[in-house]
Amino acid sequence: MTGVEFARKEVYEILRTWRIWVLPGIVLFFAISGPLLARFTPEIVGALVGNSLSGLKVPTPTYSDSYIQWIKNLSQILLIAVIIVYGGLVSGEVRSGTVALVLTKPLSRNAFITVKAAVHSLFLAVVVMVGALLTWGLTWLIFGTAPGGALWNATVAFLALGVLFVCVMTLLSSLIRSSAGAAGAGLGAYIVLAIAAIWRPLDDYSPAGLTTQPASLAAGKDVTATWPIATALVLAIALVALAGWIFRRQDL
Amino acid sequence: MTAAIETVGLTKTYGQVRALDGLDLVVDEGSIFGFLGPNGAGKTTTVRLLTGLAHPTTGVVKVLGSRVRAGDTVGTGMGFLPDVPGFYDWMTGGEFLRFAGSLFGTAKPQLESRLDMLLDLAGLVDVKTKIGGYSRGMKQRLGIAQALINAPRLLVLDEPTSALDPIGRKEVLEMLASLRGRSTVFFSTHILADVDRVCDTVAIIDRGRLVVQAPMRDLKSRYASHKLVLEVTDGADALAAEIAAQPWAAAMVRAPNGAIEVTVSDMSIAQREIPVLVAARGLGLSRLEAGEVQLEEVFVELVGGNRR
Repeated sequence: MTGVEFARKEVYEILRTWRIWVLPGIVLFFAISGPLLARFTPEIVGALVGNSLSGLKVPTPTYSDSYIQWIKNLSQILLIAVIIVYGGLVSGEVRSGTVALVLTKPLSRNAFITVKAAVHSLFLAVVVMVGALLTWGLTWLIFGTAPGGALWNATVAFLALGVLFVCVMTLLSSLIRSSAGAAGAGLGAYIVLAIAAIWRPLDDYSPAGLTTQPASLAAGKDVTATWPIATALVLAIALVALAGWIFRRQDL
Repeated sequence: MTAAIETVGLTKTYGQVRALDGLDLVVDEGSIFGFLGPNGAGKTTTVRLLTGLAHPTTGVVKVLGSRVRAGDTVGTGMGFLPDVPGFYDWMTGGEFLRFAGSLFGTAKPQLESRLDMLLDLAGLVDVKTKIGGYSRGMKQRLGIAQALINAPRLLVLDEPTSALDPIGRKEVLEMLASLRGRSTVFFSTHILADVDRVCDTVAIIDRGRLVVQAPMRDLKSRYASHKLVLEVTDGADALAAEIAAQPWAAAMVRAPNGAIEVTVSDMSIAQREIPVLVAARGLGLSRLEAGEVQLEEVFVELVGGNRR
């Protein structure tokens, strides 16, 4: 019951502070700019290059380019934004002293951590899904066709990566009192995961695959991200449990 | 009488620093308990251990009969105000109180009636701005209100009056006094006048150790037995100088009315020798009695000596 009340507070905090502008703003920008950029890439390249490369042939853009653009933006920029935004998810409350008022009431430290990870994962999911819906609609308007399968498969795969990183940041912001320090460690974790994906078995069967496979899915390639998604979700749950265990042992 | 708070051998170290050193404390239920000490004595560390925010290095804490294990969920019987309360700046005072009450699972009608009463108590009824725009005093008053939202059996307050103006301080102290017999109030402070005004029991700690714990009346009478006040018909200045030079006179001050106040190391010798000194000078002794001791004097005697 107290967990529900705390979750309600987290939701209101998202709706009534800067949090409602940052991630939704980035996603909205990519959702609108992705299809437009894909459609007008030949014109943009032509305007930039002029007559200097007259032999250069830019392929005619398709709906697939729009999807690839969307997923590339999410995987690179939105994920970094998630890491930075959630660098102070737990430590921010410790530093501001709100944690001392909240945790001296009947709310467990585990519930505090779990609710934060769950609410912000859900928030990211809603924002990304709305963005994907917008991309889908705009792609259909611009290209006249927009088969959904590739877009949604790729978006779901990215979302698993996004949720994993919300949980990574929950753990890191429990461990590290500085938001910048936690964000730096989060970026390090992302780089390690991206490098790990070079080794094929990890790319196929671990969360590392989520750094490469969403783009392949968006391009309509015949790949499946079941294992990376499943292992990412299991790892996310384990990270939240670890964050709760560590948080219980800390002096606040 | 049962103990609202009990600590046994409570110790907390931070690296090489021993912030709390074997603290044994018993706070009776229903009392208003002043927890005194100079800055850095270990007051806030004690409060954090009582509320389960920090883990003791060794020792046991019991609150309202249950052992406190840091990191576990606390019971519903305690209200707490930290020394610098942190709020969600985007909420209004009423929203924060509603949120705090909901964490206790308080039923909505009961919560709403308490909310009105506590906002009134905190002087925040007509304040519609968000907490981010509050002054420090307003935040402190809101902090006290949120600590009372669950009608606690035990109220733990860390320096509750330090950010308040004289009127706010008076109101808070009156509010604490009104809880006497209904709730146990444990408040840490270095403002001696506050303790003097409302507390029935006091503990003084210094450098992490308990120096003394006693009912206020006992403490004062214990130290009053070391103080004498005398008035003479004339020649008080020379007599005061002579008294100050005696080996049994630990300290001597002159009161505004001319009386001589002597803190003595041996009361029986002083009671015998003072009349002799007065008679030897041919003065008339108009008053000789045990002095009334202020808490400040007790505090300085117990703690101040170590600081010099």
